[in-house]
Amino acid sequence: MSLGTHHGGRGGGVQADVGEVVAVADRIRGAIETVIEGKPEVLRVALTVLLSEGHLLIEDVPGVGKTMLAKALGRAVDCSVQRVQFTPDLLPGDITGVSVYHQERREFEFDPGPIFANIVLGDEINRASPKTQAALLECMEERQVSVDGRTRPLERPFMVVATQNPADMEGTYALPEAQRDRFMARVSVGYPSPQAELDMIDSHGSHSPLEGLAPVTDAGTVRRLADLVRGVHLAPGMRRYIVDLINSTRTSPELDLGASPRATLHLVRAARAHAALEGRHYVVPDDVQSLAVPVLAHRLLVGPQAQMERTTPEQIVAKLVAGLPVPAPR
Amino acid sequence: MPLATLVSLLCALPLIAPLVRGDDWWLPAALLMGAATAVSVLYRLLTGWIGLLVPVLQLVVVALFVVPLFAGHLAPLGVVPSGAAIEHVFTVFSQGLGVIDTNRPPVTATAGVMLIIALAFAVFLVAADFLAATARCPGMVGGLLLALAVVPLVVEESGIGAGALIACAFGFVQLLAVDMWVRGREWGVVVPTPPLGVLQHGLTATLAAAAAVVLALALPAAVPGLRTDSFHTLAQGTYVGRQNDVITTTHPLVSMRRDLLSTSDRTVLTYRTDAEEPGYLRRYVLDEFDGVNWTMSPVDASGDTRVQDELPLPTGWPSAPREDTVVTRVSLDSDVEGMDFLPLPYWARSVDVSGDWYVHPDSLMVFTTERPPTGLSFTVETTDREVTAEDLARAPGSPRSLPGDFRSVPAGVGPEVQEVTDELTGHIDSPYLKALALQEFFTSGDFTYSLRPTEVPGDADPLVHFLTVDRTGYCQQFAGAMAVMARQAGIPARVAVGYTAGERTGDGRWTVSSGDAHAWPELYFEGAGWVRFEPTPGGVGGQGSATEPEYTDGSGGEPELPDPEPTPDSPEEEPTSEQEEPEPTPEASPSASAGEDEEIAAAPAGNDRESPDLSWLPAAAAVAGLLLLPFLPAAVRASVRRFRLGRPEAAWRELRDTCVDLGLGWDLAESPRGTAARLSALRDGDRVPLAEEVRAALYRLALAEERDRYAPAASWGEETGADLRVIVHGLPAVLPRGVRLRATLLPRSLWDRPRRPAADPTPQNA
Repeated sequence: MSLGTHHGGRGGGVQADVGEVVAVADRIRGAIETVIEGKPEVLRVALTVLLSEGHLLIEDVPGVGKTMLAKALGRAVDCSVQRVQFTPDLLPGDITGVSVYHQERREFEFDPGPIFANIVLGDEINRASPKTQAALLECMEERQVSVDGRTRPLERPFMVVATQNPADMEGTYALPEAQRDRFMARVSVGYPSPQAELDMIDSHGSHSPLEGLAPVTDAGTVRRLADLVRGVHLAPGMRRYIVDLINSTRTSPELDLGASPRATLHLVRAARAHAALEGRHYVVPDDVQSLAVPVLAHRLLVGPQAQMERTTPEQIVAKLVAGLPVPAPR
Repeated sequence: MPLATLVSLLCALPLIAPLVRGDDWWLPAALLMGAATAVSVLYRLLTGWIGLLVPVLQLVVVALFVVPLFAGHLAPLGVVPSGAAIEHVFTVFSQGLGVIDTNRPPVTATAGVMLIIALAFAVFLVAADFLAATARCPGMVGGLLLALAVVPLVVEESGIGAGALIACAFGFVQLLAVDMWVRGREWGVVVPTPPLGVLQHGLTATLAAAAAVVLALALPAAVPGLRTDSFHTLAQGTYVGRQNDVITTTHPLVSMRRDLLSTSDRTVLTYRTDAEEPGYLRRYVLDEFDGVNWTMSPVDASGDTRVQDELPLPTGWPSAPREDTVVTRVSLDSDVEGMDFLPLPYWARSVDVSGDWYVHPDSLMVFTTERPPTGLSFTVETTDREVTAEDLARAPGSPRSLPGDFRSVPAGVGPEVQEVTDELTGHIDSPYLKALALQEFFTSGDFTYSLRPTEVPGDADPLVHFLTVDRTGYCQQFAGAMAVMARQAGIPARVAVGYTAGERTGDGRWTVSSGDAHAWPELYFEGAGWVRFEPTPGGVGGQGSATEPEYTDGSGGEPELPDPEPTPDSPEEEPTSEQEEPEPTPEASPSASAGEDEEIAAAPAGNDRESPDLSWLPAAAAVAGLLLLPFLPAAVRASVRRFRLGRPEAAWRELRDTCVDLGLGWDLAESPRGTAARLSALRDGDRVPLAEEVRAALYRLALAEERDRYAPAASWGEETGADLRVIVHGLPAVLPRGVRLRATLLPRSLWDRPRRPAADPTPQNA
């Protein structure tokens, strides 16, 4: 459905800037779609997370383009991109960097790890040992690295795009829920449609399409847009709506663990970014509704009863959203 | 539900019991209703289809049952509706109509009457079944029951018995209860009822009921024109009580004014007398003044006061008169409704009349408690006693021989009246001269006679207004004002109502017509008794046939003056309402005599002349009301929609209600644009989508509503109203005709609005 929007009132200034958000997002989207076709939903969430300065968890079976998506996103934005392939023997220092003794200067010198980048691809994050996972996740939350007593801030924008195989795959350490909570959103790429797969054979046959992907924007622009997104209007009724939704996960009998207060903040930031991506300077329930599953589902623990019925967290969240009255006047 | 409906209507049967004489009259009605209910039950059990067909089937079955019930002997096998049998049914029906038309209730339960009752109840049951079981709004059955309850009120003045009313109410309540029970079962709702909750609910219900009762009592009093001060006291005539035998009469002043205003100057009565100058003919005496109105104190009809030989001696006469008697033979015109109070010349000594008549000793009013016959003739003997000015002048200041206090003036009378009285009579000692001064005041030319006085401003005291400002009125005002002022001057006074002597038409023959209706004050003088005065201007510009008594000639000018004032506080408005107001039956609750009651009550009130004309009105109104009843929801809904079309902020609510009406549902968890998307996807039976403009309007409206709710400082655009109009007309186009019809006639949104759940699976912990 296409919705034109018109606005009045004092949102005019914000409105013009929101237009820029849309323009930039469209360019990024266009660029990525030369690599991965037919996944607008995944792209939408990815862009939302980028603009709200969160971290993205891509979870799916191997070979559906998780890494490709992460790489494409990193390339489309002209910024530093680092990639870490997580393996069981990866050590925390391999991510954060280590202090190395400099022979000539006779002092320790910090050798920054791959975490010092704007976009960090953590491939198959659940193959690493819990200790290493913890190191990464700490950086994600703090947006800084502490090594040998020195704290080094990470440059904005800082976004970790981690990929993960489903937990029951062989040789994996499932992310504990406390750490999953640090990702703003989780998406599944899913198998491509037959047509998209046909096209893929053509485009990927001769060369990697990634190589032809040129940056369409830069880190500075993304920083500015991220600041702008924080100014998107969130009506009191909408705040209440979000809180009610979070609360409903905590009281749902089907869930053992509901969403955390951090989830509330993530949902608010994501909703704002989503509104801006849609060209609006205010959040509407639809923003929250369309983000509830990606933002909330991975944080929840399904209770035994629902588990036996093979109810997924996604289904539960969708049900909660469908039962929650949207904010209405009076 | 159908069974509950049947029970509720069966419980309503006693309502009309007072109207029918007989034992088994209710049987056919109950049988027909049972048959119709059986149809409804079977249909709903066996088919499970929507119940729109039920009324048709019910009517067919009812028609089939009528033949065996009422024409069984003519029908082959007792049930086949042959031509002869059907014809017989129609004959019986028209016979029933005839019986009802020609008899006063209660009517005998002939076959025709039973048929009519049975058919009426059967139709009511079909309607009630449709409302309660098919349309699922059993509350509206209450309207039908109310219509039934009105019938006895309309045609019979004794009202409804408490037992019947309670039975009817019980039937209705059980219908509602069954409905709630069925709904609760359908929804699987288990209402937890902790002891405290029961108490709370009970309290709430009690408060609501109390509020309803208070409103029902207070509202009629607050409606202009129905205030008790002017409405009840004036409209309420007097009733005559003899244990359980009670008659009522129109307020004398009301019927008088009606006579005066009637366009055709009909002959009311003729009389033949040997008196040279016969006096006025008096019917009523109004001896109580409540500050606004003159009314009659209750009169008593008992064996002691039955008219036999001589009437009691007029008050104030020391002994039986020795003067000659004058014989007057009065013939009431047969076209005029019967008079329950006889017009008598004063001072009547004996009345020769057939029937049961009673006399009120203080006023010599002669009345009956029965339905007065028309065209009555009777003979009156009066004392030919002349009152002279000297007699009156001799009367002492304070009469001793008068029972009752005829000098009291209630505190409600404006002080200005007393001032006028003092100015006129303060320097005079003799009561006779005082009376002359008062009469002169009215007849000296300052007052104008008019049957249609100007309206009294709302807050003004009508008496003061008449005396000091307007000075326009007719005999009612003049008589009332003079009587009040006489009382203030210390002279016992009252108001008499009746006719002037009329017009001489031949040798000793006089004719009194409706234009001769009149009211005048009577003042009491020791030794002379009650004496007539005439403050109303006579002649061409006044009350044509009014004459001033000789004993007032000497001193008083008597021309034409208007005296305003008497009873009604707003002469223009009240008399009108009084006119049709036959005064409620004795016990009839005052609060019930609102609006239409005026007309309804008119019928039983005993004004024969009018009742035949008006009697069909209530019935027609009831029928029209019944016919219009089904359209009431549609009308309410349409007015709600009209109201909202002009208000952008209500546009979304209107869309919501439209969706509910059309059965499209409404999800509170759905955002405006989500709703727009859902509705835009609607397709009709041929998969034809909504018109493009409707979809565009839907989205525009959704976005406008969204902005209003969630954006900072949003404002409504011009096009909202137009968009809403496009939607409410375009949206139903894709739906089946039946759905549209239902949405129009029974708009669900009136009683079934989506509400925010009080407690839902996602508690919004406060």
